[in-house]
Amino acid sequence: MKRTRGLAAVIAAGALLVAACSDDKTTDSTTAPSTADTAVETTVATGETTVETVADTTPVTEPVAAGWVVDTDICVDADAANAPIEGTVKIGSVMPLSGGAAAAAFAPVKDGYEAYIKYANDQGLLGDVKLEVTIEDDQYNAELTPGAVAKQIDAGVNIFSGIIGSPNNLAVRDTLNDNCIPQLAALTGSPAWGDVADYPWTTGQLVPYSVESAVYAAQIAELYPDGAKVALFHVNNEFGQYYVDSFKDLADEYGIEIVGEETVEATDSNPPTAQITNIAALKPDVIMAVPLGAQCISFLNEVANAKAANPDWTPATFLTNTCASSLILGASGQAANGLYTSSNLIDVVDPANAALPSVAEYLAYMDSVGKASVAATATAGWTTAEITVAVLIQAQASPEGLTRASIINAARNFTFTPSLGLPGVEFKMNGEDDPFLAESLVVRQYAVAADGSGTFTDIGKLITDFES
Amino acid sequence: MALFFQRIVDGLSYGSVYALIALGLVIVYRGTGHLNFAQGEMALFCAYFVYQFGEWGIPIWPAMFLGMGVGFVVGSATEVTLIRPIAKRSPFAVFIVTIGLFTFLNWLDGAIWGNQQLPNSGVGSKQLKYPSLFPNDPQDQWLPFGVSIRYERVGILVLVLVLTGLLFLLFNKTKFGLSMRAVASNSESAKLTGIRTNRVLMMSWGLAAAIGALGGVVQAGLNGNVNLGLMFTVFIYGSAAATLGGFDSPGGAVIGGLMIGVIENLASGYLPKWVGQEMKLGVAFIVILAVLLAKPSGLFGTAKVERV
Amino acid sequence: MKSLVSIREGGLANWALRLGAAAFVIGLVFWVPTSAGAGLISTAIEALTLMSAAMALNLILGYTGQISIGHSAFLGIGAYTTGIMVSRWGLSPWITFPAAFVIAFVVGVIVSFPASRIKGVYLALVTLALGLVFPQLLTWKKLSWLTGGGAGLPNDDSQLQTTGFNIGRKSGQMQHFEIFGWDPFGDLRRPDNKAAFWYWIAAVVAVIVYLVCRGVVKSRVGRSMVAIRDNETAAAVMGVNLVKTKAMVFGLSAGLCALPGCVIAIKIGSVSPEGIASLTVKGAITFLIVMVIGGAGSLWGPVIGAALYVFVTEKTGEWANDDAIPALIRPLFAWAKVPPGDGIFAILLILLMFVAPRGIVGVWNQYSSRIVRVLPRPAGAVGPAPMAVAVMSTVTDSEREPE
Repeated sequence: MKRTRGLAAVIAAGALLVAACSDDKTTDSTTAPSTADTAVETTVATGETTVETVADTTPVTEPVAAGWVVDTDICVDADAANAPIEGTVKIGSVMPLSGGAAAAAFAPVKDGYEAYIKYANDQGLLGDVKLEVTIEDDQYNAELTPGAVAKQIDAGVNIFSGIIGSPNNLAVRDTLNDNCIPQLAALTGSPAWGDVADYPWTTGQLVPYSVESAVYAAQIAELYPDGAKVALFHVNNEFGQYYVDSFKDLADEYGIEIVGEETVEATDSNPPTAQITNIAALKPDVIMAVPLGAQCISFLNEVANAKAANPDWTPATFLTNTCASSLILGASGQAANGLYTSSNLIDVVDPANAALPSVAEYLAYMDSVGKASVAATATAGWTTAEITVAVLIQAQASPEGLTRASIINAARNFTFTPSLGLPGVEFKMNGEDDPFLAESLVVRQYAVAADGSGTFTDIGKLITDFES
Repeated sequence: MALFFQRIVDGLSYGSVYALIALGLVIVYRGTGHLNFAQGEMALFCAYFVYQFGEWGIPIWPAMFLGMGVGFVVGSATEVTLIRPIAKRSPFAVFIVTIGLFTFLNWLDGAIWGNQQLPNSGVGSKQLKYPSLFPNDPQDQWLPFGVSIRYERVGILVLVLVLTGLLFLLFNKTKFGLSMRAVASNSESAKLTGIRTNRVLMMSWGLAAAIGALGGVVQAGLNGNVNLGLMFTVFIYGSAAATLGGFDSPGGAVIGGLMIGVIENLASGYLPKWVGQEMKLGVAFIVILAVLLAKPSGLFGTAKVERV
Repeated sequence: MKSLVSIREGGLANWALRLGAAAFVIGLVFWVPTSAGAGLISTAIEALTLMSAAMALNLILGYTGQISIGHSAFLGIGAYTTGIMVSRWGLSPWITFPAAFVIAFVVGVIVSFPASRIKGVYLALVTLALGLVFPQLLTWKKLSWLTGGGAGLPNDDSQLQTTGFNIGRKSGQMQHFEIFGWDPFGDLRRPDNKAAFWYWIAAVVAVIVYLVCRGVVKSRVGRSMVAIRDNETAAAVMGVNLVKTKAMVFGLSAGLCALPGCVIAIKIGSVSPEGIASLTVKGAITFLIVMVIGGAGSLWGPVIGAALYVFVTEKTGEWANDDAIPALIRPLFAWAKVPPGDGIFAILLILLMFVAPRGIVGVWNQYSSRIVRVLPRPAGAVGPAPMAVAVMSTVTDSEREPE
């Protein structure tokens, strides 16, 4: 019913993942990051350079003319797809704003998104062109999404961005592709958005869960070179299922033996005592957990209880980064000590990061629009809007100007450094070769001090292996 | 073997919460003959209040008693304003009213406290997690023979048993309890003997809601947070417990609750493919169905004789 | 009771009134897809599917008095039948309607056997448990080869990556819908036309459900249903076969409830336990609320209730933004952290039980007879007999007193 749908949980942490790519494209990744690296170095070093300048310059280094171009001939209305957009760009979106736990998890995304659009307008990022965004509510119910999208198309929306939820995006994907309307930054991690050939107008923002699980598998192999026994714990929905499926596929490669698998229903409000009891009985080396939203907290508590009951068992806990916000981990207290997770965005709640210019700017802006209370969880919305606007800027600079076709072309030939990304993180899409907004992940470990405050420490370097 | 006992212990702790909800249902049924579909939501409403009391700095035990007080007020107010006038029309109308109340209370919780789980530092909660009535740090447990018995869960079980004992005393040893039984048995005659039936009815609902409040607080404490969906499935398990034990037997409700908790946990543990986590509700469903078909009055209830 | 106008039954004025009402409804039904934008059409589709489900529930609850808060399970059976048959096996969505009806009918009959022995609120409990268990059945690992488990359909094993009509721009995909050479919708890829297409499917389903309900209610079975509702033992004594009647009505109610489920699966193109709210208990409670507010035990009650529900929820959905609330009621709802829609309906439901237990239709019947009263034809008068009977039964229905 009303609860945080799996994919939604990702938003809480605002982590944007990188898509898996074919391995033979690694050569590309060495060139692109260096540009971004220097740009980011500059930002960090001087502390003055606005990230927006970086966003402006980086795309220009990518040739827009060459590269993947969408075929507008098969559109229902090819002229509309190539018509120039003037005056105002109307952005539409559909998010769960009410109706239970999903709304709880995602409503801040709307706030962050709208805040960034206002920021972009205030700063005149698109010159004379103004941005207008309307976000409709579908209560995370896929029955209502087509209606919301249709209503916005009637109202003259030019592009869609940041629709939340896998079934929700699926429900409108055909309509938007048939009518050649860009469906950017689908906020779900389902692998379905990588289908460039059939659905060229739809792009995903969150990485398919396959990459995060691959990163963890690699880390586990490093921690346990002689092979590790892993128990899985996941929420029984699309999110959890795809996640562990990709983990299981990689198990052999990394010398991982999967000794147990426990599930929890998305609608179950009891703490997962029984599941953890089962896992504890197997005494695995590692627990790989993909719970949903608030279940993250009860999961961690149960594991802590079980560890106390079995003092000779010291498993490493790997937790999906959708749980990895200080908000959720903070509520777990000591139980969260020592867990592994990943990220590619800066934790805006961490006081150590408050001095960073992009963070300070973000927090100040959220405060000025009166949304400081949700600043921690609104980063996903902010970053999504930032990427959308960067795509628009690139499209505007292209020879065709700002048209729907040029926007999706820009989106698929795109390299960008998000302002709230960790140093070295870069979002990149490249036609059919790289259908996901790929970037790196760093594995981090969370430590809880005696006073209850938590800090993340990076383990190893930013992993860019999955970038193409 | 240790795993078996562990599963029983875990099941008993889930079952204690079911028992509390079932107790509330049974008291309402005994007192007024209705099934209160809003029992779970009343419990949730009080659990939210206890969170709020905690935010205002009140420690958990006093907050819990205050929460029970809130429950009492909500329950009695419901009976006086909503149930009594409607009961004259038909049981169906009462049912609809309780369904309406169910929806309304859930909406109200969201309206007042929002739909995030609480406590939540994002909305500025002072508490880190929902307070538990008993110490529940990871090391707060006994470990006999490898079975983890947590203080918190034992505490809850003891609380339920103490409450049952108190209720037993109330029903059987006090004048008020006697009037409750009289009204339940034959309200017309009870009125004739001078018992203030209206007051008894009101107090039944109030008491039931107060016990439900305890259930809500305990469940939220076990879960670590309170959220809008907390009591949906608990309500069904509680109803299964009340059905199993017999809708007019408080003792039966408690035993039913504990049994359902244990059965559900053993089934899901030992039949991971057939029951697992997905079909735990299926167990409750089958229990309800089986009992209603085979022995509708439950294990300890009295059979109802209907005048045609 | 004094009334403003009295007209004779079977007379010209009576017919004019009824035709006028019919014309209004038909006009509305035809106007929506042609003149309204795709957004309004989508809202209308929601209303139509909700209406169909509420009408189906009305058969078993309003007319037969058997409480069921588990009808979301039957709707889910419909949705998943379509989902499985279309995406897994590549069948045409049209076949799935009768298939879903049959499957749900059978399930309904099976459910009715134990249900016959359980009365009143206990039945409500059992059906509530059923409604809660159904989404769990969908996520059950043992059935995931069929249902796609927690992720739903379509998935990687699916033959077709949609659970509805395969509309698209590629070859082999459907772009026009033709009936005997007539193409009423145009290019289906356009959102307006696609919405109109779905709208008509939903409308036809709603009409079918209405006609079946009407047919049942006005037949002998209908009278048996009402007899069961009023006093089961007396009905049994008078020769009503309880088990058989309940089985048939449960089955019919379940089968009809599955049809809007098919429409939903077609509309959104995927099925999953999380993505469709109508197959959860929340959906079942919504059907109940809609039915009771509109008027349980009346044919038009669920129709009006559904239209009202969708309209109000749509309007108040915008009230998440405090400025959108009309100034008069703002103090009532501005403080709420969630949109007021659910709260309004809950309060309305409770109030209705006090002032108008027969719902909106009941109120209408009560007050419309003050304005226009249809005088029944005196016995033995000459005139078209069937028409008289038809109007008589309408009048009798509407003037049934609450218990």
